Amino acid sequence: MKNNRLTPYLFLAPFLLAFSLFFILPVLYSVYLSFLTRVRNGFAPPTEVFGGFANYARVFTDGDFLASFFNIFLFGAIQVPLMLIFATAFALIIDETQGWLSKVFRTAIYIPYTIPGVIAGLLWGFLYSRNLSPLNYLLSNNGGTPVNFLDSSLLLFSIGNIVTWTWTGYNSVTLYANLQNVSRELYEAAAIDGATGWNVVRYIKLPLLRPALMLTLIFSVIGTAQIFSEPFVLRGIGFVPVNITPNTYIYQIASQDANYSYAAALAVVLALVTFAFSAFFLRYVNRSQSV
Amino acid sequence: MKLKQGMMLLIAGGAVAGAIALAQAFNEPKYQAAPKGEITLEYWSWVPKMEEQAALFTKQYPNIKVKVVNVGAGQSGTYPKLQTAIKAGTGAPDVAQVEFGYIPFFASTGGLADLTKYLPSDAKNYFVPWTWSQVSQGKAVYGIPQDQGPFAMIYRKDIFDKYKIAVPTTWNEYEAAGKKLFEASGGKVKIGNFFSTFAPWFTALAWANGAQFWKLNTDGSYTQTLNSAAAKQVANYWGRLLEKKYVSTLGAFSADFWNAVSKGEVATSMEAAWGTGSFAGSLEKNPGVGAEYRVAPLPQWKKGGTASGNWGGSTAVVTTQSKNPEAAALFAYWLMSSKASVVQGWKGAGVFPAASAGLDLPELSDKTSNPSKFFDGQNVAAVYKEAGKGVNTRFQWSPWAPTVDASFQKQMDLAVNGKQSFADALDNWQAETLTKAKADGYNVK
Repeated sequence: MKNNRLTPYLFLAPFLLAFSLFFILPVLYSVYLSFLTRVRNGFAPPTEVFGGFANYARVFTDGDFLASFFNIFLFGAIQVPLMLIFATAFALIIDETQGWLSKVFRTAIYIPYTIPGVIAGLLWGFLYSRNLSPLNYLLSNNGGTPVNFLDSSLLLFSIGNIVTWTWTGYNSVTLYANLQNVSRELYEAAAIDGATGWNVVRYIKLPLLRPALMLTLIFSVIGTAQIFSEPFVLRGIGFVPVNITPNTYIYQIASQDANYSYAAALAVVLALVTFAFSAFFLRYVNRSQSV
Repeated sequence: MKLKQGMMLLIAGGAVAGAIALAQAFNEPKYQAAPKGEITLEYWSWVPKMEEQAALFTKQYPNIKVKVVNVGAGQSGTYPKLQTAIKAGTGAPDVAQVEFGYIPFFASTGGLADLTKYLPSDAKNYFVPWTWSQVSQGKAVYGIPQDQGPFAMIYRKDIFDKYKIAVPTTWNEYEAAGKKLFEASGGKVKIGNFFSTFAPWFTALAWANGAQFWKLNTDGSYTQTLNSAAAKQVANYWGRLLEKKYVSTLGAFSADFWNAVSKGEVATSMEAAWGTGSFAGSLEKNPGVGAEYRVAPLPQWKKGGTASGNWGGSTAVVTTQSKNPEAAALFAYWLMSSKASVVQGWKGAGVFPAASAGLDLPELSDKTSNPSKFFDGQNVAAVYKEAGKGVNTRFQWSPWAPTVDASFQKQMDLAVNGKQSFADALDNWQAETLTKAKADGYNVK
C-alpha cells in the first residue's frame, strides 16, 4: 500500500483555493492599496501614486477612527462578559435538563442565531423606533416617556442588546456540547465524595468548560471588532454615527467617500489590533493550561 | 348660406389651428437615430414605478429593452453600489439615477460618460437652463436632468382648521403657529419636523435664504462656506423651535415619520416637489382620520418674498462601463424629455420635470390622478412651478458630498441633543468637512 503524499493536499485543495481567492488575495490587495495615495487633477479622475506610510500616518491622527476603537472597547468590555455569563448559565441549565425540555431549550436559544444579521437589525429597529415601538407604546401608556433607543448615550447598549440576543445561543450551544463531553464518571466520583449541585458546577463543570470558554471569548472579541450590520441597519430609523464601530467607519471611507486606499490602511490597522488581542488571549489560555 | 359656410370653415379652421397649437404645446425634441440590434440596458433608479416609465421607451424603441433595478435611494443604496462598481471596473449599470449634488462627486471618479458626443447639439434647449448647468462641467455633460426639487410646504389643512390657525407665510408666523399648536394640543401636535439626518434638506432651506455653500473658482479650486450668516439664521431658527418643542426630529422617510404625519402629530413638512409623490405614495393607503393635505409656498424670511430652495432633483447618468452608450444616452434623453415619459413620471412619483416643456403640461394639474388627487385636487404643480421661480439657480456643489452629509449628521446630532449650539454646529460642520476634503486631496479654501 502506497502512501500518496499528495492526498492530504488534494483534500485540502477546495478549501485552500477558495481561501486564497476570497481571503488571502483580498488581504494582499488591501495591503497594496493601503500604500497608495490619490493625486487630484482638477476635474479629471484622481491618479493613485505610491504614498509610503502616508495613509498609516493619517490613521493614527484620525480622531473619528480612534473614537470608533474606544466605542468597541467599551462595548466589548461590557457586552462580551455579560453574553458569556448568560451563555454559560444557559449551557448549565440545558445540561441539567432532561428529555424534550432540553431540546426545546436548545432550539429556542439557538433560533436568534439562525436569523440573518440584517433581518435581526430590522426587527430590532422596529422595536427601537420612537413612535411605533411596542416597548415605547407600553411605556407611554403607563405614564412613562418614550425612550429614544438611538440616543448617543444608549446606542451602544441598544446594539449590544441585539448582539447579545443573536450570539448568546450560539455560544451556549458550543459550551453545552463541551459539557456533554464530560465523562459521567467524574460526576459519579464527585457524588461519592459528597459533592452536590453547586459544588459540581463550581469545581467540575466550570473548570472543564474553561478551554471552551476561552474559545468563545476569542471568537467574541474578534466578532466585536467586526460589528457592522446591526448599527448599519439601525441607520434607517435615526442617527447612528458613521464611526460607531471601526467597520462602519471603514465602510464610510470606502463606500461613501470612495477613498479605497485610506480605507485599506484603516482595515489593515484594525486587523492588526484584532490579531494582537486574539494572540494575547490565546497565550493567556495556553499559559493557564500548562500550569 | 354662404356666410354660414364661411363661418363653418372659419370655425373648422380655428379648431384645426387649436389642435395644432395643442400638439405644439409640448415641444418634443428631435431624437437622434436609435442604434440597431437587440439591446438591453440596465437602469438603476429609486423613482417609484420607474418600470412603467421605462416601458414607454421600449414601446417607442422595441429593440431596446430596459431592466430597471431599484438598489435603494441615493446614499443609502445607489451611490455606494455605483461607486464601488466604478472602482471595480465592472458591474455598473448602463444608466443610473444621480442627484445634482452628487454629479461632481461621480464625475470626479471618472466613471461617468461625457454625453456630448451622443446627444444632438440642441439637447440643452429642451431643459430648464439651470438644470442643464447642474449636469455640465466645462464642455462636458455628465447626465440628463430628470427633475427639480423646488421647496414648498406640505401641510395638514384639517389641523390648521381645527386649531383655527392661519397657514403661515413667513417664518415668524410659522413659529407663532408652532407655539399656538403646542399650547392648544398640550405639546402633542408639532408644527413641523427637523430632518437632522439629511444635509440636503437643510441645504434647501439655507439655499432659500440666499446661502451659497460651494463655489468653483476660475483657478479650479473650491471655496466652501457652510456657516454663512444666512445658513446660521436658518439653523438657529430651527434650533429654537426644537428647544421649545414646537418641532420633532423624526427620521426622514422613516416609518416613525409617516406614522406621526398620518396621526396628525406633525402639521407641516418642508418638501421638494417630488415630496408630493412620496406623500401620495406613502400615505394614500393610510390617510388618517379626515386628513387633508395641501401645499403652500415655503414660509419666507421677508414678508411677501418668493424665495425657495431645492432638494435633490435627479439626473440620469451614463456610465463609462456601458457597452451601449448611444442607446443609453438616447434612453436617458428620451426618458427625461418626451411627453409620455414626463407625464408618467409626474403621475407615478411626483417627478417634477426638468424638461422645460413639461412644466406647461396640462397633465401636471390633472386633479384625478396623483399627486394632485392625494391633495384633494389641489394644483400642487402650480405651487411648485412658482417655487421653482424663486430658486437661486447658480447654486453649486462640491465633489466631497458624502463627507458633507456624514459630518452634517454628526454635528446636528450634537446640536439636537443640546451638546453644542446650532451656530457652533455649522462652524464645526464647515471645519470638519474642510479638513477631510483637504486630507482627500481636494483644492479647497
